Amino acid sequence: MSSCNCENNGQQSHEELMAKMDAIIDRVGTSKEIIIPLLQEIQEEFSYLPSDAIERIYERTEIDRAQLISVSTFYSQFRHIPYGKHLIKICTGTACHVKGATNVYDSFKRELKMEGDSITTEDQLFSIEKVACLGCCSLAPVVQIDEKIYGHVLPGKVNEVMEAFIEEQEVKQKEESKGKTQKVEGEIRLGMGSCCQASGSSDIYKELIKNANELGIDVNVKSVGCVGVCNKVPLIDVVLKDGSITRYPNVKDSEIKEILYHHFKPAGYFKRLKNSIIDRVDTYHTDTTWNNVIWKPENERTGLINNFLAKQKHISTEGCGFLAPLNLDEYRAYEGFDALCKVLTSANPEQLVQDILNSGLRGRGGGGFTTGKKWEIVASTKKKEKYVICNGDEGDPGAFMDRMILESYPFRVIEGMIIAAYAVGANKGIFYIRAEYPLAVKRIKKALELCREQNLIGDNILNSDFSFDITIFEGAGAFVCGEETALIASIEGERGFPKQRPPYPAVEGLNACPTLVNNVETLSQISYIVRHGVNTYNEIGTPDSKGTKVFALAGKIKNGGLIEVPMGITLNQIIEDIGGGIENGEKLKAVQIGGPSGGCIPANLCDVQVDFDAFNQMGAMMGSGGLVVLSDNDCMVDMARYFLSFTCEQSCGKCTFCRVGIRRMLDILDKLCSGNAQMEDLDKLEELANSVKKSSLCGLGKTAPNPVLTTLKYFREEYEEHVHGVCKTGTCKDMIHFVVTDDCVGCTKCAKACPVDAIPYEPYKVHHIDLELCVKCGLCIDECSYDAILKVPVNQEQTV
Amino acid sequence: MQITIDHKNIEVLKGETILETARRSGFEIPSMCYAQGAQHKSSCMVCAVKNLANGQIIPSCTTKPVEGMQIESNSEEVKQIRTMSFELLLSDHRADCEAPCSMVCPHGLDVEHMLSLYDKGAHKEACEIIKGAFPLPQISCDNCKAPCEKACRRGNIDQSVSIREIIREVVAMFETAEINPVDNRKIDKKLFQSRLGRFSESEKQRLKDTTSTPSGCLHCACAGSSDCKLRSYATQEAIKRPKYNVSSELPIMDRKQVTENMWFEQAKCIRCGLCVYNSKNGFTFKDRGFGMQVYLPEENRKNVSTHLADLCPTGALYLAKEIKENTSGN
Repeated sequence: MSSCNCENNGQQSHEELMAKMDAIIDRVGTSKEIIIPLLQEIQEEFSYLPSDAIERIYERTEIDRAQLISVSTFYSQFRHIPYGKHLIKICTGTACHVKGATNVYDSFKRELKMEGDSITTEDQLFSIEKVACLGCCSLAPVVQIDEKIYGHVLPGKVNEVMEAFIEEQEVKQKEESKGKTQKVEGEIRLGMGSCCQASGSSDIYKELIKNANELGIDVNVKSVGCVGVCNKVPLIDVVLKDGSITRYPNVKDSEIKEILYHHFKPAGYFKRLKNSIIDRVDTYHTDTTWNNVIWKPENERTGLINNFLAKQKHISTEGCGFLAPLNLDEYRAYEGFDALCKVLTSANPEQLVQDILNSGLRGRGGGGFTTGKKWEIVASTKKKEKYVICNGDEGDPGAFMDRMILESYPFRVIEGMIIAAYAVGANKGIFYIRAEYPLAVKRIKKALELCREQNLIGDNILNSDFSFDITIFEGAGAFVCGEETALIASIEGERGFPKQRPPYPAVEGLNACPTLVNNVETLSQISYIVRHGVNTYNEIGTPDSKGTKVFALAGKIKNGGLIEVPMGITLNQIIEDIGGGIENGEKLKAVQIGGPSGGCIPANLCDVQVDFDAFNQMGAMMGSGGLVVLSDNDCMVDMARYFLSFTCEQSCGKCTFCRVGIRRMLDILDKLCSGNAQMEDLDKLEELANSVKKSSLCGLGKTAPNPVLTTLKYFREEYEEHVHGVCKTGTCKDMIHFVVTDDCVGCTKCAKACPVDAIPYEPYKVHHIDLELCVKCGLCIDECSYDAILKVPVNQEQTV
Repeated sequence: MQITIDHKNIEVLKGETILETARRSGFEIPSMCYAQGAQHKSSCMVCAVKNLANGQIIPSCTTKPVEGMQIESNSEEVKQIRTMSFELLLSDHRADCEAPCSMVCPHGLDVEHMLSLYDKGAHKEACEIIKGAFPLPQISCDNCKAPCEKACRRGNIDQSVSIREIIREVVAMFETAEINPVDNRKIDKKLFQSRLGRFSESEKQRLKDTTSTPSGCLHCACAGSSDCKLRSYATQEAIKRPKYNVSSELPIMDRKQVTENMWFEQAKCIRCGLCVYNSKNGFTFKDRGFGMQVYLPEENRKNVSTHLADLCPTGALYLAKEIKENTSGN
């Protein structure tokens, strides 16, 4: 999404606004169900929903006041007040949360001098907002300013980020990235997924082009999809003429020239000479140049990554690291759309449904419903109009595999969708993608265009008598819309209230027609099954869970990122063999799986196999596949509270148990985390959790208590400690304060770091912390070189 | 089509929901967000029943039966779920069923009712009910320790209403006149009592600024329908006091005039949506989750009619009580 015409705020004349509004309405339409796209366009134009614009909607469309208020206040994307020129989004996803996102948020507010509840700076330059998940979990904590994503933003780094951003604004020069097609001396592949871009891969891309030009090297720089090794990005693969690949993880701008120079001979003597001079100048100017270019032995650099990739099995992410996301010819060269051709020529949709049923494929969106069954139901209904919806409303904080698949393998999802449509006899397809994934939307849009050119979608696909077309619907920011009935309600232009099932969408869905709703990842497994046959697919996995599962591995792990593993692999294998163990020498405490619908699996049970039913039995859930690794420095009660506050915020508010019940659970958890709870509150909490699980109307409410129930089951003693006013990990701020020990040498580092001046500047004296002022952000602890600042329980005497 | 409810075979009529089938066959299932013949969508879960085939708890008011369905409507589990849903609804229902002053009067005078008449200028009617409660109105309050004034909610804000003085004032007005005593001991203390809970500082300020009744009375008592479903079910379930602490952000005692005689009080609303689904471009939902509200935009006031007040299962949307016009006030 472009960064809107915010500068026009307030100065826009009424006529101008009306003209713009009329143009938008003419473009989008006037019927009731187009309300969400219409509001999105308006917000795109004005950066918020001005009241004059809204009045115009009433005048010119079928949308009335009741519907507009109902819809525009339901979805968190829509804003009714103007924001500052630049929007800072603080990711509060699980991975970011465990790495201190709240402190980052507070730091930004302090840095920008925002008092109290205000979220916009006085000069209207910046607004700040928490977002559920930016999907860059391996770079946590993550912050996005306008279009630019910053990774590893620690509270102490906030000022640097702001400076970098402002500096960049001043020298803003947008270079259109030019795609080269000639392959001359070799190829450089650079990951351009959202994570990679967050780590600065677009800068690397520019740098590569610039340096290649400077050095006179005519090399093909190719943007590929996500490689999955998200914690090692930016990652460059240099492919030489002979096909050998050298991989460079964590590349920095300054290293580019060295890398290019190392592999490709610059064209002429003069350029080389010029180059060496530039290098000299660089060295003089920045003394860090040589520090950055650390020539580790190549096997050490790549060994880690190869380990990371070795245990994996790529089905959804087939072609990872070399497929260009939007190169249709290349995709087809690697057997892309072969499955579709096979299906269309065999012309036997019944057999196809049967095959998917026999393959044992289960929905990857969470519940694990057998995909073939769904197909069978939709196929068996006799209606003429049928829909296929690809559910890309991945809202779990801590999960980003759907985003990555959409961004990196758009054609595979499209192919799966067309095959599904052929099997069930649908003629219309809709991609439902959350608005927080602009890159995914862009790529799918482009991919659909390319497919249309080659007659892969549209009328009479590949000269068969099968016609099917696909459109895109952007979600507007509501987690509950991942639930299929709520998703359909939102496409129909209503608030995302789930409906009581039956009737299931497969029988009566969008516009009362049979509708097949499948998750992105599910659809991306289809072409493999068709190409390789049911039996090959059947061999992967456990008896009841077949195929592979994509996980977003994040949290306290050495090598986080996106992984695709065969079902049946154990969690320990994932953590140790793929993830390389826990970071900073901490100990594994639990694995949080499935986000807010899933649960925490304790370390001693981590030899469990990845399997839908095995997870369910433990009270957790596969969910959409976020895997957040927790160490002994993470507080489980805080974890439960974190997820519950997420579901509480995302609840649609329709049914009592979800709306009020979750809130009452959260009240108890708040009491626990502030040390005000009684023992009987734990029983109350458990009773509530079980009732909410049993009696909520939809999947969101039914699974929301899982994080609480699993932590209560496996970590009850930690809850009891909290009742006694102790949080051993020091996470619950109300129960700790910071003290300086005698190890302090009075170096004043902490005093300088303290954002609220709670530590007086007294050189060579043992520092002390003013507890009244202290906001417990932990910056002083990070800063202290003598480990002289400790978190101690407020209630010393009650320490167990 | 045949289904079983509590192991009894029941024939289902075409188009019926489980609730309709069950009620027609004599089973008692409570319901709040359902109203016969009106548009509704399940939300309150008060009508929960269990589907024995898959063990799921389902709202009977929207679920359509399927052949051979086995429903359990009266087991301990189902009852517990219903009770829990009442408890939860009550925890987000910030209102007094009766005013505390009326509850504590040793003579059983409905103090709040008397004060509401007084505030409307209907002094004679006020006097009538005072006489109904006290055999000797002139001296009745003299020896009383005035628990009414101690219980008065206004006392939490600044100063209690001077109830005894007002009684004396009213009585003095009609000292010589012939007043027929009206028996007003109608408060049934056996009924469930919803409680307001504590005022926040900002609420205190707001109430202080906006209360402009002559007596200073806040009129805590519910002015809504006497057939409040929430109250009668809570009484049936023998719920004594709310199990969960109230942490609602709804504006208490914030009464908005909807039409000439229809009023809406947000803090009593259980968000069932009956008024939303049954008005066209009238009431609407605003926001989501726990903070979701039922909201009526100013411009939409003309689009709502008073039949909505009959649909409301609580006292959130109500018709103002009229004073009998047989005698004019002073």
